[in-house]
Amino acid sequence: MGVPDTGMSQRLVNWARAKSPWITVYNSGACNACDIEIIACLMPRFDVERFGILVKGSPRHADILIVTGHVTLKQASRLRRVWEQMPEPKYVIAMGACGASGGVFHGLYHMVESVDCVVPVDVYVAGCPPRPDEIINAVVTCLNLLEEDAAHGGKEWRQKKPATGVDAEGKSCTVVS
Amino acid sequence: MKEFGTVEQVRKNRIRIRTVPDKIHDAITTAQAMLGFDRLITISTVDNGETLELLYHLIGSHRIIISLSLDLPRDKPVTPTVSDLLPPAGIYERQIHDLFGITFEGNPNMKKIILNEGWPENEYPLRKDWKPNAGVFYGGIKVERM
Repeated sequence: MGVPDTGMSQRLVNWARAKSPWITVYNSGACNACDIEIIACLMPRFDVERFGILVKGSPRHADILIVTGHVTLKQASRLRRVWEQMPEPKYVIAMGACGASGGVFHGLYHMVESVDCVVPVDVYVAGCPPRPDEIINAVVTCLNLLEEDAAHGGKEWRQKKPATGVDAEGKSCTVVS
Repeated sequence: MKEFGTVEQVRKNRIRIRTVPDKIHDAITTAQAMLGFDRLITISTVDNGETLELLYHLIGSHRIIISLSLDLPRDKPVTPTVSDLLPPAGIYERQIHDLFGITFEGNPNMKKIILNEGWPENEYPLRKDWKPNAGVFYGGIKVERM
């Protein structure tokens, strides 16, 4: 990684990937409002198939994982396993206020602090729940990231180093893989 | 029902009986057989500080609810199971055991049901005096705290 592969076949693969992202939706303990908005997204009114987006049931077929909701302790290892099943290059969208920080459930006894404690997140969508157009926007943002990553030859160019300082509560977290 | 404890009509269609753990079996049998309270709505638990209170809510076709209440000491909360009389009660009892630490003697399947697999023993998160302990790993995924 690091040096982009500019061969003909690789360029074809990159083009095909960006034109047809397959997503899988994983509910890690949400209230279902985000899932309903995703279903609204798939319906003819918003019609995500014009971007080539297709929802797949299996993470082994998917490029983008949409995590709806906060992550409970019970779901953390399952979410990690689902993410590990996805083929590279894979992208994660954390959906809603819960995905970003736990939302109204933040600090409860059965909670992991946020999705990015479990899997690395590429795009966050704000809102409780986000509107379908914001979800489409997130997926399109993900596709732009995918193209940029292909041009840079990997994800390393945009990954930040883990924070070295300690915040007020000593709660900053990084992903342990 | 007077022989099982103090009877009180809290509302128009709601009766509360304060009984003791030894009599709960007979009280439910009597309520089922004599008064037609044949279905269990739920078992609820209240943390009263000194005691943990269990409430068995039963209903029948007459739409009157009876609440059989038990006070259990906080340091040794043990009560006989009622899952032999009311099979769905077994699941409620497992959940109450997870969250409040009340032991139901005789429940055949007293495993964890609602908490995650790595949850430590003797931590009951819905008790009022429970606080998450920073040194304890509660399961889920290991997060590197810096």
